[in-house]
Amino acid sequence: MGQSGGSPPGGEFASALAQPDLTPSRPVYDGRLGELYAIYLRHVVLMVLTLGWSRFWGRTRLRRYLWNHLAILGDRFEYRGRGRELLIGFLLAVVMLAGWGGLMWLVWVHVFHEKPFANFGMFDIFSLSVAVIGFPLAYVGHYAGLRYKLSRTRWRGIRCGMAGSAWRYGVTATFLTFANMFTAQLLTPVVTVNLARPRISNARVGTLPLVFAGSAGDIYGRYLGYYFLNIVAWLVAIAAAFAIGGGTANEFGLSFDDFLKLFTAPSLRTILAAAAIAVGIYLLFSLLILPLRCWWQAYWFRYLVSHSRAGNVLFATAITTRQMWGFLVLNYLIVVLTLGLGWPWVMHRTLRLIAGELWLYGAPDGASVRQPADRAPGFGEGLLDMFDVSGI
Amino acid sequence: MTTPARYYDGETAQVLEVGVRPTAGELIIFRPADSSIVAHWPIGEIAVLGDGAHEGAPPVLRQGGEARLVIEDPEQRRQLAALMPHLSALAEVPASAGRRIATLGASLVVLVAAFWGIVDYGTEYAAPWLPYSLQVKLGETVYEELVADKDECHGTRGMAAINDLANELARAAGYPHEVTVHIIEGGPVNAFTLPGGILVFYSDLFEQAKNSSQVAGVLAHEIGHVVHHHPVKGIVRAYGLDLLAKLVSGGTSDLLNTLTSGGNILLAMRNGRTFEREADATGVALLEKLGLRADGISGFFEQMLEKEPKDAASAAGIWSSHPPTQERIQTTKRPPTGRPAFSTADWKALREVCK
Repeated sequence: MGQSGGSPPGGEFASALAQPDLTPSRPVYDGRLGELYAIYLRHVVLMVLTLGWSRFWGRTRLRRYLWNHLAILGDRFEYRGRGRELLIGFLLAVVMLAGWGGLMWLVWVHVFHEKPFANFGMFDIFSLSVAVIGFPLAYVGHYAGLRYKLSRTRWRGIRCGMAGSAWRYGVTATFLTFANMFTAQLLTPVVTVNLARPRISNARVGTLPLVFAGSAGDIYGRYLGYYFLNIVAWLVAIAAAFAIGGGTANEFGLSFDDFLKLFTAPSLRTILAAAAIAVGIYLLFSLLILPLRCWWQAYWFRYLVSHSRAGNVLFATAITTRQMWGFLVLNYLIVVLTLGLGWPWVMHRTLRLIAGELWLYGAPDGASVRQPADRAPGFGEGLLDMFDVSGI
Repeated sequence: MTTPARYYDGETAQVLEVGVRPTAGELIIFRPADSSIVAHWPIGEIAVLGDGAHEGAPPVLRQGGEARLVIEDPEQRRQLAALMPHLSALAEVPASAGRRIATLGASLVVLVAAFWGIVDYGTEYAAPWLPYSLQVKLGETVYEELVADKDECHGTRGMAAINDLANELARAAGYPHEVTVHIIEGGPVNAFTLPGGILVFYSDLFEQAKNSSQVAGVLAHEIGHVVHHHPVKGIVRAYGLDLLAKLVSGGTSDLLNTLTSGGNILLAMRNGRTFEREADATGVALLEKLGLRADGISGFFEQMLEKEPKDAASAAGIWSSHPPTQERIQTTKRPPTGRPAFSTADWKALREVCK
């Protein structure tokens, strides 16, 4: 598979370090949108026919397509997962939740059933407990799902994998997320770096581990700038929205009651007006809030990539705020405006972005990267599927 | 014939550019530079992983081993498959994406329409067939949740009077099961129906009602919900739309589900308005069928409108779960003829059911 044009970021750094080999290359994605759509639509049709039970096999087919159309150093990835492994993972998660439900029933019968807790019903205790355990479990599922996907991924015939405890990750992620919440998001750099580290450093290609050398201190200055600019931008956006919205309503002589009436008995005119208002709000927030977020995300992504390596292979990206906009905002809008059917397009755009913007310097010493001796997990993603956060 | 390929030995991440030559009994893999043999794979043990529709270049391997061969050129793959028919997956060329998308897209539209048709219209016919014991269990569970922190009224004569009338109305509609009326102390001035023929009244309704016909009218309206299986239909339709949204989004994103929750509310409201109109009509018809005064429903609505001249149902428009009150008065208006639904003593007992 060939390489397309473009110059790598940090070329001067590459040439200054002639030893060892730091030849730049980029991944190649040769998937076609039409082919991906055909696979996706088949998946959706089967989903409707089987009331969702085909999703394990549908996801597997989509992964096979995406993985095998992405290549690094001329070698394609392989996805060797099976639908039945996902099904078993899902069923195990169901059994686990059913067990939890039974436990909560016992707690309710013996503790809450009698007054003074009579108004605390069985549904209340189960919903509350699932909400409480669901938060860490979603993180556990995320990590376990990543481990499963990596374990079913091969490159040059070598299995990838992931070490570390998903439960420990779940506990850490929950603690950090709550700590961040209680400190008004000021711990975001600590959270992002400490959650990225186990996901990257525990991943490996065969016996070749990935390394993440990032530190929260490196990015705090930029984050604080983003944080306070964000507050200013919100204040300006809200003030502008009130000024424009109030001014427009006054201009048309609309009272609050008129406004309510417009939306409770909508005519074509109302719908068009609502669409115009939505576009106006979108433009306002697009101009003020989202570029700032994309600017931060692009910076964080560049930092994350450039501080990761696999043996002697270094990574870099020069992804811009504008490209991050396309990745975060446009992709979101595509999915929303197509009622979900634009998902393959989003995936296609994402892989093209990766192929266009990720640079690798050097190549691994193939002879020293060996097939791992450990066994991969036998099933996958149950919790991830259960909490609906798996994507593909 | 020699086919160029990339060979991975399955033990390390080394790549060898090799040539592949099929013979009668095996596939010979060799280095083109010096023709040295890398591996011999017996033909019967060779397999293709995947297919041309999903894999860009399906890997070839010797069964039981980790080593792989990848032939990038589709034409070379086709030629090798022609020589080794059991590797035909290598030559697979999927049908044109455009044709597959058109066929699958049309199938999807038909399936979604059929699914929605089954949910929306199928429930009309299927709801009565849902096991009654299950409906009762569902209704009782919801009821227990609702009344967990409230006081229920137990006045013997009042409870007997309202339950007798409820069952008389239900039998008149041909409903084959027993209905149960519960009364909760306090407000709001309201009543509602749960699955399994469970009716719930708030005692404030009895205090606010001007006469027993109004209570009988509300009761007949609720029996309308029971005999048309509205609670079960509402639940099935709401879950149906939710499931459809999940299925059509490919089960990959909960984003769409967030969006459809808005659609679900609108659907529930639309169902609500249709159900209310149906229950109003049935309620009036049942009272007339039994020769009871049927002016109570419209009288109750008039009283509501007097209290709240700015009708909330009209103001809420498409977001309202009930039709505009003025419309309901018009459609349920009947003359004050017929015998009273409750005797004077029963009506008194009903008004004091919580004391």
